[in-house]
Amino acid sequence: MTVSGTVQQNDDRIFGVIRKEWIQKYSTLVALVLIFLVFSITVNRFLTPLNLLNIMQQISMLTIVGAGLTFGFAAREMDLSVGYTVGLAGILVPLLLTWGVPLPIAVLGGLGAGLVVGAVNAALVTLVGVPSLIATLAVGSIIFGINYLVTGGRAIYGSLPAEYLWLGQGRVFGIPVLAFFMFGCVAVAWFIMERTIFGRYVYAVGGNQKAAELSGVNVRLYRAAAMVVCSLFAVIAGTLLAARLGSGQPNAGENYLLDGLATVFIGMTMLRPGTATILGTLLGALFIGIINNGLNLMGMDTYIQSIVKGIIILVAVAIVSRTTKLKLL
Amino acid sequence: MKISLTDIVMQYPGTRALDAVSANFRTDEVHGLIGENGAGKSTLMSVLSGSQRPTSGQISLNGRELALRSPRDAMLNGIALVSQEGSLVSSLSGAENIMLGEEPRHAGSVIRRNHLNQQAAKLLETWFPGIGIDLGAQVGSLPMADQKVIEIVRALRGDVRLLILDEPTATLPSREKERLWSIIRSLPQRGVGVVLISHFLSEIFALSNRITVLRDGRHVGTLNASDVSEDHLVDLMLRRTGGQTSDEQVTTRDALGTEVLAVTNWRVGRIAIPAFTLRAGEIVGLIGLTGSGHFGFARSLHNPAGVLSGTIAINGKPASLGGPRDMQRSGIALVPDHRMENALIGEWDLRENLSMVHPEHGSRGLGILSMTKENAETARIFKLLNVKAHSPRQLLSSLSGGNKQKISIGKWLYGARDRYRVMVFIEPTEGVDIGAKKEIYAEMRRLAATGMGIIIASSDLLEIEQVTDRVIPFVAGKPGAEITRNDFSEAAFIAAMSGGSQ
Repeated sequence: MTVSGTVQQNDDRIFGVIRKEWIQKYSTLVALVLIFLVFSITVNRFLTPLNLLNIMQQISMLTIVGAGLTFGFAAREMDLSVGYTVGLAGILVPLLLTWGVPLPIAVLGGLGAGLVVGAVNAALVTLVGVPSLIATLAVGSIIFGINYLVTGGRAIYGSLPAEYLWLGQGRVFGIPVLAFFMFGCVAVAWFIMERTIFGRYVYAVGGNQKAAELSGVNVRLYRAAAMVVCSLFAVIAGTLLAARLGSGQPNAGENYLLDGLATVFIGMTMLRPGTATILGTLLGALFIGIINNGLNLMGMDTYIQSIVKGIIILVAVAIVSRTTKLKLL
Repeated sequence: MKISLTDIVMQYPGTRALDAVSANFRTDEVHGLIGENGAGKSTLMSVLSGSQRPTSGQISLNGRELALRSPRDAMLNGIALVSQEGSLVSSLSGAENIMLGEEPRHAGSVIRRNHLNQQAAKLLETWFPGIGIDLGAQVGSLPMADQKVIEIVRALRGDVRLLILDEPTATLPSREKERLWSIIRSLPQRGVGVVLISHFLSEIFALSNRITVLRDGRHVGTLNASDVSEDHLVDLMLRRTGGQTSDEQVTTRDALGTEVLAVTNWRVGRIAIPAFTLRAGEIVGLIGLTGSGHFGFARSLHNPAGVLSGTIAINGKPASLGGPRDMQRSGIALVPDHRMENALIGEWDLRENLSMVHPEHGSRGLGILSMTKENAETARIFKLLNVKAHSPRQLLSSLSGGNKQKISIGKWLYGARDRYRVMVFIEPTEGVDIGAKKEIYAEMRRLAATGMGIIIASSDLLEIEQVTDRVIPFVAGKPGAEITRNDFSEAAFIAAMSGGSQ
């Protein structure tokens, strides 16, 4: 049955639509500002330059992981292995450094590991045909095992070069080096997603796979590429994380899965509702970072933080699912 | 017993799916219901089976008015529907499917398996003695015909007097059809009337006592199967009511260009085309009843994934069969039907949608998009196809059907208008208003004039008559004798589509 013709549109209706769109686009942003204001007023030491820089430092790795996940989400692929991939790089790079490998080579080694993980995920999804949710869950379990096998469950300490530690702990003009990395990664990711043919195709594959295929887009290639990019961002975050911690910890990356997904989901509620965008993810990371930081300063238990975060994720996903046609599987 | 539908109207926003349709069905007959896609068959049956309430009109049983608010209401009044897609749980056994939702239970909630199997077997034996279906096996592992029988038995579980079968044999291999046919024939003798929806006219003839024809949401006739010919039925299904005539004629070009497309021994599924050629500047129409293969053939030229055998040459050069990407590189473009599923992204803006096939034309190189170039290119397409939009950043979903279709066409003209040698259109004006239709036809002619070959597979015969130079009718997967412009007439099309040659 073809349904043709336009529904009569009067001014009321158009304004109604605009208002609804506006609420959809900006309600999360308004919530973010409100939370910021509430913390500023009620929490001591929240609104200080030192603490704000601190928040920036705290969210930088999360934002980088989130940016990677955004590529996956844009192509409608989920990566549940990111947390362990962060951990993998966080072990591998310090390990190479303690063996005396020069810093640039060690960093390349970390990127190489990301490439391998991404390629395995991508091959499972696009060549074997395993849904990404399951494939990356299994791959994550494998990486988890490797992380603990390699380290024997112990942290990798030792003579890490000062230049490496500077990446995670240093400051330039008082601004954490990590923040530069964060903004650098966000800028690059934004540019790729919004201003290149590659990004356009990643979005096309996720937006309407059938239409993309019939427009001659190599659907498999872009699904695979999105997953590889996701792993690459995760290893960048892992490399920086170990530098910040000053050691390689096998369990250090584990929080980044849930928090990373949260940033993307929160981001999907704004700007282009239902679509994962880099700027949305950045705002999502800010959201998570401010809440974590504020609750911390209030002296809240980390378990309570976990509950709060769970609720935030549920609310964000509920908003996205109800207002748009969110489909992840 | 008689069930009557009187003046059923179903109004959707912008379209009237059923326009005062009346029909009556009896329990001692198989009643064929036919019409092309969109004629209103499914809507009418969803009204009769309680899943949709009509805007107005009455349903009555032996003169008593019925209010069917849900499929359950219909069921309680003895009306059941077996849908086309099937509704079996493939991991359960036949017996479990038959008794689904009415499993015999112990006092608690434990299912009495023996009873269940016995009851299912008894039901099957009562309705279809000696049919020999293994009710213990998982339904998914049974032949398609057996699955249909199980669905029918489940529908007959209650006190059903009228069974609606929507395309019951569409998914069946031909050897299994006969079996189901004899089952369908036997039902009226048991006091169960059948309403049979089918695209296969031969099936309608083989089974029906009476036949009702719908067209464009209207009832155009109910006839006794014994005194109507197949040609006459097709005529009823397709002939448009007076008033519309083809007002624009194509100027026939006597000098056609070189051959841009040559297909030989092409086989896709049941479709077989010994030879097909298309010349530069030519517009060829493919017509046929639903399921006759004209759409499948058109689609396979751009996406030959399902092609079993055949060769294709584009512009004289043999092309290897690959995916859509490869065919595009060889010079074939496709403007598909169901544009929101197959061509466009509703949440994207117009600029992004237009760039989907050739984003490189909005780029200064290195794969980097230039918003200035993209906007300029988008504006050019807007102007070329007269797209009514206020901004390149407007969301696609906000456009009307006609403008969406222009975007779907514009994708292929982005950057360069003459990149392709062959453009295939499937249902090019489905859901498109009259004004936009004319503009789309004009663009097709202009494209042909640039030396492109154009194929239009359409069920809109008026469109075919207005735009094409010659027409190839498809019957049962095979192309029939071609009809040239001088012989164009609706009667000729209809006769060719029904396979009649008189």
